[in-house]
Amino acid sequence: MLEYAGSQRAGLERNRDDGLALGSVLRSLDWLLVAGVVGLVVVGLWAISGVTEFDVAGDPQHYLQRQIVYVVVGGLALLVGVLVDPDMYRRYWRPIFIGTIGLIAIVLVVGRAARGSTRWIDVGFFTFQPSEFGKLLFVLAIAGYITEHAHGASTAPTTLRTLGLGAIPVVLVFAQPDLGTALVYIAALVAMLFICGTPWKQLAVLGSVGVLAVVVVLWAGPAVGVNFLQPYQKSRLTCFVHPSKCTVDARYNLEQSIAAVGAGQFHGRGPKNATQTRLNFLPEHGTDFVFASYSEQRGFIGASLLLALYLLVLWRGLRIVTVARDLYSAIVAGGIVVALLFQIFVNVGMTMGIAPITGIPLPFVSVGGSSMIANLAAMGVLLAIHARGRGSRLSRRR
Amino acid sequence: MASTATERAPRRFPPRGKSVVEPYRVTPKLALRVAILGGILLAIFAALFLRLWALQVLAGQKYIDQAQANSFRTLSVPAPRGLILDRNNVPLVTNTPSTAIQLWPSDLPKVYADRYAELVHLAQVSRVPLYEISRGIKQRLQSGDLVTPVTVRESASDLMVSYLAEHASEFPGVGTGRAYLRHYPYQDLASQVLGYVGAISQSQLNHLGPGYGANDQIGQTGVEAAFDRYLRGVSGAAKLHVDNLNRPLGGVQLTALPKPGNTVRLTLDVKLQQAAEKALAYGIRLAQGNGEWAARGGAIVALDPRDGSILAMASSPTYKPSVYSGRVTTRALAAQGLTPKTAPAKNYPALNRAMQATYPPGSVFKPVTALAAMQAHIVSPYAYLPCTGTYQSPNDKSHQVFHNWDPNVNQPMDLPTALAYSCDTYFYQLGDRFWSLPKDRGQPLQQWATTFGFGKLTGSDVGPEVPGLVPTIGWKIRHFTTALDRLWKPGDSIHLAIGQGDLLVTPLQMTRFYALLANGGKLVTPHLLLDVEDSNGNPVPLPPPPQPESVGVDPAALQIVRQGLLEGTHLPIGTSYPVFGQFPVSIAGKTGTAEKVVTLPGFIGVKNQSWWCGYGPTDKPTIVVCAMIENGGHGGTAAAPAAAQVFGAYFHFKVNQATSTHSD
Repeated sequence: MLEYAGSQRAGLERNRDDGLALGSVLRSLDWLLVAGVVGLVVVGLWAISGVTEFDVAGDPQHYLQRQIVYVVVGGLALLVGVLVDPDMYRRYWRPIFIGTIGLIAIVLVVGRAARGSTRWIDVGFFTFQPSEFGKLLFVLAIAGYITEHAHGASTAPTTLRTLGLGAIPVVLVFAQPDLGTALVYIAALVAMLFICGTPWKQLAVLGSVGVLAVVVVLWAGPAVGVNFLQPYQKSRLTCFVHPSKCTVDARYNLEQSIAAVGAGQFHGRGPKNATQTRLNFLPEHGTDFVFASYSEQRGFIGASLLLALYLLVLWRGLRIVTVARDLYSAIVAGGIVVALLFQIFVNVGMTMGIAPITGIPLPFVSVGGSSMIANLAAMGVLLAIHARGRGSRLSRRR
Repeated sequence: MASTATERAPRRFPPRGKSVVEPYRVTPKLALRVAILGGILLAIFAALFLRLWALQVLAGQKYIDQAQANSFRTLSVPAPRGLILDRNNVPLVTNTPSTAIQLWPSDLPKVYADRYAELVHLAQVSRVPLYEISRGIKQRLQSGDLVTPVTVRESASDLMVSYLAEHASEFPGVGTGRAYLRHYPYQDLASQVLGYVGAISQSQLNHLGPGYGANDQIGQTGVEAAFDRYLRGVSGAAKLHVDNLNRPLGGVQLTALPKPGNTVRLTLDVKLQQAAEKALAYGIRLAQGNGEWAARGGAIVALDPRDGSILAMASSPTYKPSVYSGRVTTRALAAQGLTPKTAPAKNYPALNRAMQATYPPGSVFKPVTALAAMQAHIVSPYAYLPCTGTYQSPNDKSHQVFHNWDPNVNQPMDLPTALAYSCDTYFYQLGDRFWSLPKDRGQPLQQWATTFGFGKLTGSDVGPEVPGLVPTIGWKIRHFTTALDRLWKPGDSIHLAIGQGDLLVTPLQMTRFYALLANGGKLVTPHLLLDVEDSNGNPVPLPPPPQPESVGVDPAALQIVRQGLLEGTHLPIGTSYPVFGQFPVSIAGKTGTAEKVVTLPGFIGVKNQSWWCGYGPTDKPTIVVCAMIENGGHGGTAAAPAAAQVFGAYFHFKVNQATSTHSD
């Protein structure tokens, strides 16, 4: 088994190994996944170049240039992710977990101090959004806990403890308030329990509790006067089911978004003629509603290309779950893949009116550095798992 | 290398976990679960692809239309309202174009604080109080109409318009539009008759139904309201391409041309109307000169007795209808006495006293009594009855003494002379005879009064008007509660015979009756509409004007009354001889002095309402004039000289203003 971190001496060895390792790592990469990610990043930049063309008067490439910088930084993060042995994360899951919570908590404290709610920390050149990185870190940490306590088959107390542990960052993110990201965390948590072999019986109980929670939060609670969600949050969540019942704001966004997607037709209207985007009828078209704007400009062809690339990446991701070297890697891969899938479905579905409205960015496309870097880093971790997985050259060298 | 690392495990940092050394295999269980995840993945992507296909390929055109409609704003292009002209094409009401500030509530910022800030800013710029703007928005939202803009201010200054244009991005949902304001070249002339235009109210919108929009200006009273259907025109429509901040991207495209309103020509004659208003002021001045301090209002109506067209209709005090053009403020209305609070102090200037106010007529009613008495055969017109200073009815158990206006007279008179001299005691006797009629003869005096148009609406095409009251036996029973009050006593008939008691008439009703005397027994329908022309000058078909209708009064009886009215102005004993005796054109008429209990600030008591009604030329009358001065004293001293001025203007000669007389 290969180790990259260790005592000073081991470190020396590691340095010596690095050349070898880097070469072997590169040779054992999942090149289809790499192609998928590169394709996504390129299509994403293409989308941003059109979507934000008229957003800053006189500077059509304002957002594109920034996004390219994020892609470069994200590429470096991906490389680091590839090179670090995932077992590192397993061993350090406690500090990772505490660090994640700390980062999210800082946002909460800073946001509260500024008498408002923020999801990011301003570090000058860049607004750092911990909950985006948190998606990856959460998966790495919780997978470490599960691996430590569950040997093949989880017992009910382990499952409960895992849920309890996972609930801490979920609640913190929810309090920001960032309902959408909190839901991503929950999806990843459930996926990890699923992959680690939690018995069906426990999953069934978990599912029932989840359904009950949704009923209580959305319906029973408000009926007896207990509101867990802000009215606008609830309206956004349920809007797509009953468009006539939602608030003016939520309905406006939804209608404009659907109109934008539909108006793209087969070939797209192009950035210049895409009035929904260009004339700002579509709100947040660089971030939350970027898919609608992209679909308006590039049509069914462009939107299908993007969805196909997502499908490729997710397929390769699921495959990596099966080739993972150990349980920890498999759980991490599963968590990353499901979190990604959940984000894609909720974001794309939202713009077309088949998923609730939540402020989740579209991975690899939405303008924003934290999301881009965190997602590329996650892809790096996936690639690292593949590179060290069964059947790869790196593992054969063992 | 890897193996050596494993051997050094105890010294390692971090310590190694157990799981990593465990061999890990793809169990069937894991394979199943990954397969399930794969199934979910495929299902989700299938849903996304299908939805995308449905939206973009199957329903794309619909959304293209929606996206395009999004950026087009439909504007209503107001049609200029029709002009109002007098019978000689002199414009009484015209239009001036202006720019209105409009607001589309649905385009306001969605965040409350932003919306509030914008409205505060808009209130400052447009100088319209915030509560007025928000009230307009609230009403529009309640009506469920989100397309029509709210008019914030009808007449915006150039400065306001250019400021809003320069700061368009700060005012999402705010725009400007063309508007037309009513302009009144003669200012306060005939203001109660012409009426004014104002924003349609919600109840009017519900009541008027299709063809009227939430932002319409409609006629609220008078001619503007009565002929609104001719005057309003049809609004056009236009498209404007805008971005989401309502900034125009290119010019306005007309999609439907506005159709200007039709021109309405009235029967009024501006010169005569001016003369009537001047005469009214003159009559009030005369009355005040005679010590009638409470004389502060009145009305003059001039009518063509041949067809009932109204030549002049003056009511005093008056107001300037221009306060209703553009931005209407309570302060401006209050200054003119047009709010409920300030109206009493200004003596109700909005009231059209010619048809909206009722007064006891006094002696101008005597021709009604004379006609009714002759028709009922209770008097022989050339038989003499004593005209004395007082009269006591043999039927009256209370032995009330009824006084003549002239306490010293004592001579027998026939009917024409009694009319000319306006002998009260002669008519008291007629009243007594009416009272004494057997029950099966009915109430001929009231019946004839009703036939002559009293106690009911005249049917004039311009309103509003009130019916007045002809007291009858039945009315007393319905109206009063105690047995004594309900009883029709001799005094009731006696008072009614001289136009007093509970009788109430409008000046217009009285004018109409004198027109009947003048035209030989035909009741006319007073009207103001002469004809209507569309904007190209083509006549607009109208329902035929109402024709005078004969009421079946005996021509001989009519001739006797006309004789009496002629003697009233031509014989020295006539009550208006001093005014009309030397008139170049032969005028016949009757004075009236009607006692009325009035309540004024600091005064409750009896005041005389000064009346004069008559027509000329007597051989072939072309004009009837009725003048009424509120609390103006005797008919001969205030109303008759005022009416003489109107005749002077009509027949084009100057009337000596000094003549007046102190008589009933």
